[in-house]
Amino acid sequence: MEKTVSLKVNGRDVQVTAMADTPLLYILRNDLALNGPKYGCGLGECGACTVIMDGVAARSCVIPLAGAEGREVVTLEGLGSSTEPHPVQQAFIAEQAAQCGYCMNGMIMTAKALLDRNPNPSLDDIRRELSGNLCRCGTHVEILRAVQRAARGTR
Amino acid sequence: MTKNPHPTPTRDELLRSSGVLLIVDDIQPPPGLVPKGGTPTPKPKELALFIAVCEDGAVYAFNGHVDLGTGIRTALIQIVAEELDLSMEQVRMVLGDTERAPNQGATIASATIQISAVPLRNAAAEARRFLLQRAADLFGVPVEDLRVEEGVVIAGEGNRRISYAELVQGQHFQIRVSGTAPLKKREDYTLVGRAAPRVDIPAKATGEFTYVHDVRVPGMLHGRVVRPPYAGIDSGEFVGNSLVGVDESSIAHIPGVVGVVVIRDFVGVVTEREEQAIKAARELKVTWKPWTQKLPDLSDLAQALRDNPSSPRKVLDKGNVDAAIAGASQRMSRTYVWPYQMHGSIGPSCAVADCNDERVKVWSGTQNPHLLRADIAWLLEWAEERVEIIRMEAAGCYGRNCADDVAADAVLLSRAVGRPVRVQLTREQEHVWEPKGTAQLMEVDGGLNADGTVAGYDFATSYPSNGAPTLALLLTGRVDPVGAVFEMGDRTSIPPYDYDHMRVVINDMAPIVRASWMRGVSALPNSFAHESYIDELAFAAEVDPVEFRLRHLRDERAADLIKAVAERAGWQPRTAPQQTPPDENVLRGRGFAYARYIHSKFPGFGAAWAAWVADVSIDKRTGDIAVTRVVVGHDAGQMINPDGVRHQIHGNVIQSTSRVLKEQVAFEDSLVASKEWGGYPILTFPEVPDIDVLMIPRETEQPLGSGESASVPSAAAIANAIFDATGIRFRELPITAERVREALHGPSDPGVQAPAEPPKGGRRFSKWLTGSIAGLCGALLGVAATALPFRAEIAPVSRPSADTWSAATIERGRQLAAAGDCAVCHTTANGAVNAGGLAFETPFGKVYSTNITPDPDTGIGNWSFAAFDRAMRQGISRDGRHLYPAFPYTSFQNISEGDMQALYAYLMAQAPTRSRTPEADMAFPFNQRPLLAGWNALFLNRTKHQPDPQQSAEWNRGAYLVNGLGHCSACHSPRNAMGAEKTGAAYLAGGMVDGWEAPALNALSKAPKPWTEDDLFQYLRTGFSDRHGVAAGPMTAVVKELSTLPEADVRAMAVYLASLGTGAEAPAVQPVAASAAPVPTTASLSNGERIFNGSCKACHSDGTGPVLFGVSPSMGVNTNVHSDTPDNLARVILHGIAQPATRDLGYMPAFKDSLSNRQAADLLAYLRHRFAPDKPAWESLESAAAHARANLGTH
Repeated sequence: MEKTVSLKVNGRDVQVTAMADTPLLYILRNDLALNGPKYGCGLGECGACTVIMDGVAARSCVIPLAGAEGREVVTLEGLGSSTEPHPVQQAFIAEQAAQCGYCMNGMIMTAKALLDRNPNPSLDDIRRELSGNLCRCGTHVEILRAVQRAARGTR
Repeated sequence: MTKNPHPTPTRDELLRSSGVLLIVDDIQPPPGLVPKGGTPTPKPKELALFIAVCEDGAVYAFNGHVDLGTGIRTALIQIVAEELDLSMEQVRMVLGDTERAPNQGATIASATIQISAVPLRNAAAEARRFLLQRAADLFGVPVEDLRVEEGVVIAGEGNRRISYAELVQGQHFQIRVSGTAPLKKREDYTLVGRAAPRVDIPAKATGEFTYVHDVRVPGMLHGRVVRPPYAGIDSGEFVGNSLVGVDESSIAHIPGVVGVVVIRDFVGVVTEREEQAIKAARELKVTWKPWTQKLPDLSDLAQALRDNPSSPRKVLDKGNVDAAIAGASQRMSRTYVWPYQMHGSIGPSCAVADCNDERVKVWSGTQNPHLLRADIAWLLEWAEERVEIIRMEAAGCYGRNCADDVAADAVLLSRAVGRPVRVQLTREQEHVWEPKGTAQLMEVDGGLNADGTVAGYDFATSYPSNGAPTLALLLTGRVDPVGAVFEMGDRTSIPPYDYDHMRVVINDMAPIVRASWMRGVSALPNSFAHESYIDELAFAAEVDPVEFRLRHLRDERAADLIKAVAERAGWQPRTAPQQTPPDENVLRGRGFAYARYIHSKFPGFGAAWAAWVADVSIDKRTGDIAVTRVVVGHDAGQMINPDGVRHQIHGNVIQSTSRVLKEQVAFEDSLVASKEWGGYPILTFPEVPDIDVLMIPRETEQPLGSGESASVPSAAAIANAIFDATGIRFRELPITAERVREALHGPSDPGVQAPAEPPKGGRRFSKWLTGSIAGLCGALLGVAATALPFRAEIAPVSRPSADTWSAATIERGRQLAAAGDCAVCHTTANGAVNAGGLAFETPFGKVYSTNITPDPDTGIGNWSFAAFDRAMRQGISRDGRHLYPAFPYTSFQNISEGDMQALYAYLMAQAPTRSRTPEADMAFPFNQRPLLAGWNALFLNRTKHQPDPQQSAEWNRGAYLVNGLGHCSACHSPRNAMGAEKTGAAYLAGGMVDGWEAPALNALSKAPKPWTEDDLFQYLRTGFSDRHGVAAGPMTAVVKELSTLPEADVRAMAVYLASLGTGAEAPAVQPVAASAAPVPTTASLSNGERIFNGSCKACHSDGTGPVLFGVSPSMGVNTNVHSDTPDNLARVILHGIAQPATRDLGYMPAFKDSLSNRQAADLLAYLRHRFAPDKPAWESLESAAAHARANLGTH
């Protein structure tokens, strides 16, 4: 059933009309032209599509449009830009925490949600928080350093 | 809309431009696709453009190899900027585009720096020489007096300057690479050899980067493909010959469908929006020929490879191997097996194609743009010049993934609809169809002489892999599905050790499963064998394995590296496995391996040297194995970007550790069964080892590829470390906990499950059907004689006007309707509220809920209150017909008079909907409605409830709601053979409805924790209790309705239900700490554990995973895991929870398209074993999964 849904994306009020069961991921990418969240598995297994919804990391590939109604969604674009990156993005850039970079959206968004909740995570906390985010290039070492660097920056 | 991602002029535009300096060369492109039965025809030489210096200040550099996520773009920019004395920002690097970049073949073998960058560097030097000479001529000074700063040529003291742009102003210079232009001296380098930040990362970190997945062009449509059932097999006469038909009407209900494209076995859909394409591809009815192929059995890979036809190719035969080995005092014959593995790109492949009658333009993440161009041209039967490939970055690929497949798919779909089409493969399609890293079999014969020297080394390797023709070519029949034999098993087939008697044979063979090159190609498996074997020889000779290697190496750089790595790691010489320290539960070990990746056509080129010292830790009880630390040494010669090399080493260590410990494609009936990350798990953050990288400084040596080299020693180093820890040699990968456990303790179970029974229809209702139908009929008939089978019609009335009742009464009626869940059963998925028509499968046949809107003709608009009241309490329709007791009038008879009035008022005040209820489809004798009079006589009175004055008002209110309007017992009480709710001890003791188990609400509850009043309240209010789980199936709708009730009513229901004694505290309640979890004892359980970890754990981690939106239900306390039947769990796994009871619960995806019945059964078995260890294992799980898959239910 088609539905018009109001939500807030990156601080902006938006209205989208689409089938209510359309995964939020496709709304963000196709209707709002946001390229940060990526399709990886469609099953919430890999984390490439992660956004922050009402302050919590959320897998946009398994959340239907109707589930985002009235909520506040932040995507990678909502954090900062290449000229003015958010501190977490800056930490990932500084640590060169990407090879292909496809998983990076999920890594940054999950890390951001963690640091908002716990500004002083241990290395184990970070490993645990990212345990559901897959990286195939093997950038884990740089990503862990990036999150630690971002945590130092927020303290 | 994405801006034109490539404003870069094409080669031909530049060749026609003025105001340019172009450095070109004639190059010999690699041959294109070989036609059916043909031989490779050399392509004509073509003019390649390497460097363009433009008058607008732009400096372009072109390279035919592409960036696969390794950062090669940055390294190439360093090379060009260095030679031309530019800043890195001034160089625009163009990679791969067929209209721009030279055809230098596929980006393989980590050869970009080593090979394809060489002409680029020479071209840059040529440009510099030309520009300096021109400046010297203009200034009238010798070239030696000039210097360059960021593209500005400066003479003498700096008073005369001219930029490169000015030097080419208005001119067209075109010169060839001579090879004589002097290269910059190493000591003058300011960029090459120094760490440079990757140029692409800032945009990637902020969502500004345009991957191929992000390309949008005007008028673009969305496509999806439907792949054939021969999952992952690309040779055999059935390939391209299996389609029977496509029923386009099956997707007529989906809006936005633009086209369905069918060409033999190629099937695709095109729609306006992406989600429409997803739905259309999923729902399109495609009929394939019955699957009757007998494929090689892949459960025994070694045998499957031995049986695969092959031709031996001897690449080395030195000394007299047969005699030497025959004379060995200690002969050792060993077999090593490498499994099928996946590239596993994190982003499934994607492409956009824009095809018209003249040309086609393809945006692709291919690793070989020029070869893809040839493939597309072949597919369309066009000249290559009409095909343009624009190379975009994609998710990392480590060899040949589905990038080319999806590009060809997009071309076919775009050609069919005449508009640009974007095609995104699904995760399942990428997993199933990507050309696999092939299984490989290495057999070594050899041994030691009495003096401890190596007698001989006889090595044979079998590598069934080829170039994996682009799928669309096979599916459409453009290329015959005959597996070509490639000669690629020879990478590092010759061991690095100088054994006196040595023979190396490659068994060249066609693929069994679709396979192509993957990182390390055949060198990684070959080195697993070489380096495991030499370790074994060393221990047999009682010589330290590092020392033993050094004795047999003639390569000084290798020896230097080995010594450096051993020293860095603090290697302690050993001549027997250390098995240290003798910790109570943990075994630790350390292993060594060395290898050099020899790539390209035999005898090939050497890439970087690499050596590993791996430390492992093994849990003795579970066999869980962790690689805790890797010291890796690497000699890549000169490093263009040392940071880039370091990242490649990290990536190679992590990815290859993952491959060694975890990765193996699963097959069912010889078809690929791993369709998502649970079926093909990879290493996760908690498992990543500490990595200490030692990069040997060799600034004066040639730069060598480092994209794969660090992987090559991995498997042997880890296997050797495990030997050090356990004394056991593992010669087959992956080395999983299951294999280690079995090796340590022996097989605890044959690991074979009894074959599952085929699914049977109506299996879940068998209990209901055990009663004798004949007896049932007799009983009904007997009672009917004394009851009143035919009831009078109650005269129709005009619908009362809405103002008959006060707003307060109507609101009260609304709440009562919510408490009674009227709309749950009286509304179809997309139908009007309460308009009926929802089907109910009962053991006796199918009935439909009625229209209870006030439509006079098809609903209850002409029903008087008396008629309504009779229907609600006695199950008699206004016209006198009996209603089936699927309608819970047996509960509703307990509704008070006032509430019944309010309910009537509410329903009559709603808008009427005209909708005729379908006729029930009941089997005889149940289609004889009058017999229900007898049924009522038998059962109606049994469910009458009276208030209990001994109990509180709240309890009585709860009882009234539960037993009256709430009709909880309709689902939660078992029914007898005649479909009547059981009473007494069986009251609310659990029932089945619509294929779902409604768990017991009384003392018979199987819940591992008792349901307290607070638990019940929380659950009924939100659909979730953290001590029990989440509402699913029909209960989600119930909770949705309850959420509109006053809190006091829900609390009252909880008070009453809690008083029924819902379960006793179970002993040893979960969650269980990981270390205490029961150990899987069968192959099925081990597989289930892998699937749980990969597919489920992120959301069901019991606090050991991330915090994600929605609840994170614990499996340990989940009522369904402790139930007698797996039905609810199976349904939720396969069908997910798309519409949770309340909106903060989050969503559960459906796994029906990703997990086979066997995988679902393994997962169910594991969940039961792990989280309800005190309960008996469930049985016949495959048929339970099949049943759940086939029966979604109507709720």
